Amino acid sequence: MILAPQKGRALIVVGALASVFTALSFRLFDLHVLQHKDLSALAQANREQVVHRQGRRGAILDANGNLLANSLSVRIVTADATITAPQASDIAEKLAPLLKMDAESIAQKLSSQSRYVRLNPRVKLDEDTVQKIRAMKLKGIFFEDQFVRSYPNGPLGSHVIGFVDAEHKGVQGIEASMEDYLEGQAGYEVIERDRKGREIRTSCEENTGPRDGFNVVLTVDQVVQHIAEQELEKAMVEFKPQAGVIIVSRPKTGEILAMSSRPTFDPTSLDASSADARRNRCISDVAEPGSTFKIVVCSGALNEGLVTLNDQFDCENGAFMYAGRILHDAHPFGVLRVEEILFHSSNIGAAKVGLRMGPARLSEYIHRYGFGHKTDIALPGEVSGIAHPLARWNNLSITRIPMGHEIAVTPLQMLMALNTIANNGVRMKPMIVKSVMDQDGTPVFQYQPQPVGQVITPRTSALMTTALRKVVSPEGTAPKAALEGFDVAGKTGTAQKVENGQYVRKYYSSFIGYFPASDPEISILVSLDDPVGGAYYGGSVAGPVFRAVAEKVAEYLGMEPQTPLKEMAKLS
Amino acid sequence: MMKRNRKREPLRFGTVTKSLVVCVCVAANGLGYVWQKNAIYRLGDEIKRRESALSSAQKRNTMLAAQLAHLESPAELEAKCQQYNLSLVSPKENQVVRLYEPGQEWDQQMANAPLPAQAPAKQLAQLHAAQPKTLAKQ
Repeated sequence: MILAPQKGRALIVVGALASVFTALSFRLFDLHVLQHKDLSALAQANREQVVHRQGRRGAILDANGNLLANSLSVRIVTADATITAPQASDIAEKLAPLLKMDAESIAQKLSSQSRYVRLNPRVKLDEDTVQKIRAMKLKGIFFEDQFVRSYPNGPLGSHVIGFVDAEHKGVQGIEASMEDYLEGQAGYEVIERDRKGREIRTSCEENTGPRDGFNVVLTVDQVVQHIAEQELEKAMVEFKPQAGVIIVSRPKTGEILAMSSRPTFDPTSLDASSADARRNRCISDVAEPGSTFKIVVCSGALNEGLVTLNDQFDCENGAFMYAGRILHDAHPFGVLRVEEILFHSSNIGAAKVGLRMGPARLSEYIHRYGFGHKTDIALPGEVSGIAHPLARWNNLSITRIPMGHEIAVTPLQMLMALNTIANNGVRMKPMIVKSVMDQDGTPVFQYQPQPVGQVITPRTSALMTTALRKVVSPEGTAPKAALEGFDVAGKTGTAQKVENGQYVRKYYSSFIGYFPASDPEISILVSLDDPVGGAYYGGSVAGPVFRAVAEKVAEYLGMEPQTPLKEMAKLS
Repeated sequence: MMKRNRKREPLRFGTVTKSLVVCVCVAANGLGYVWQKNAIYRLGDEIKRRESALSSAQKRNTMLAAQLAHLESPAELEAKCQQYNLSLVSPKENQVVRLYEPGQEWDQQMANAPLPAQAPAKQLAQLHAAQPKTLAKQ
């Protein structure tokens, strides 16, 4: 039996408990039902974290798979300066020797009161150093993964490869033109963390992993590139020109094996180079081609059946008056055959061939060879050159253009014109990218040689080769370009420079040639801008450089010399 | 009818067994759930560690590939040759033995050709001229 006072106390206890439980229930209802949306989002935000991951930029490889550029993952040290500020100098002294920086500048960053400070944006840290810093257990010091672009060959082929900016975006060369393929795609991952901040593996449904960029394989061969660079460097020392270019290509496919330009730069130390040095002169600089352009007028006239190699022209003993102006030859010549006009490089002879051709046909061939248009090589910054439309030609144009005046071309355009002659008259599009591959080496795109059109007939091409072979003979303008063991066909060019609208006594010395002439495998262009020291003729300045490059390239590619084999056969 | 006094009734074996089985099942399920969760976390941890190791290995691989490319670069090789004074020079053409890839045409010509010692120079020259272009340099 329960007594009255006990009943009263029991009621109080029951009432109190009921109130507490009611309050708790209400609070639970409030938290779980009324505030559910906000609180659940807050809880999720505390627990979950979205981690963004950057895809690695693809590599650039040469034709044989040698690495020319790739991206390395490095650690940079970051700090929350609001945490590090009180012990900035202590931390700075510990970090300075490991980061190879001075303690003062680190201390300054650590006391900047910023929540995010990069301590070593340009220093690559190896894993050992990272572990050493970790072992110090410094509060407010963190690590961040970052990619840096590496160019293992330094300045080799820098104008072709190009470089990237601080955001890892291609700025020049293949880095810029193939940006869409090279660039990796960023991904993200939603992770959950436990109370101690450790990652908890959960379902990966929401995760979108990063995709690494594709690798780009070039047609450039790093050994041929090295040969070209080495010989160009020697020429720069010997002739001290303001600039120089060498291009090596395969005429049958239009593949570029080497493209070298001076002055040059090292993509690993961009700050040390000028914008001028970073320009790829092979595609972005134009100049009057000079006598090398005679191949266009002569092949055009031969192709139209207007002349034969044996047709004769009076070269007026070196001075030809036309439209009130006198045209001179470097050496006086009498009557020359078309073949001789080419290998003696007579301006008057070329002008007379041009006159026989007429402006309309000459203009047509200029455009058929691709002058005045971009070659569409996969490199940024290419210019189209200057080839005036027929309407803008003056009375003198028909005699000046055949000798390479009143027209401006890029070195690449000139080489591709020569390649047309070497390739049975078929003009090829220059090829610098061979394929695009994924990270496993599976080809994504395979580029094929692209013919642009038939400019001259194979017969005309053969006739031109016959004439151009004599250019490197003792009676031609470039005997120093002759190769032992190989027949070379080529053309010299010595073009006067124009400064402030006037021709000055400065020259572009050039030589373009291909070998073996009977079955061309390799074509080379050498051009030096304003060589000093007396010699300036293309045959004496650029010719020997052509020979040096050609000899080494032939040896490297294992090309069989034609002459020695015949001699050996005779001996046996 | 009088109400049965349940307290005085003996425990039924079946009921006890059923209760025990239910309890054991519930406990086993609970323990299984906890064990499984633990296993998932451990596995997740392991995967994370392996992924991290893989990522480190890949990074190291990339770094080494760059180092290798640098060491194999023509400029570097030339510098090493000079540094160690190896006096390496390119072989002269008469020091090179070329091996020709056999083809049908070449085989036929070889089959019909006289022995090399007896072959006149002109025939040898013709054979050389007719050889396929693909070469292997030794």
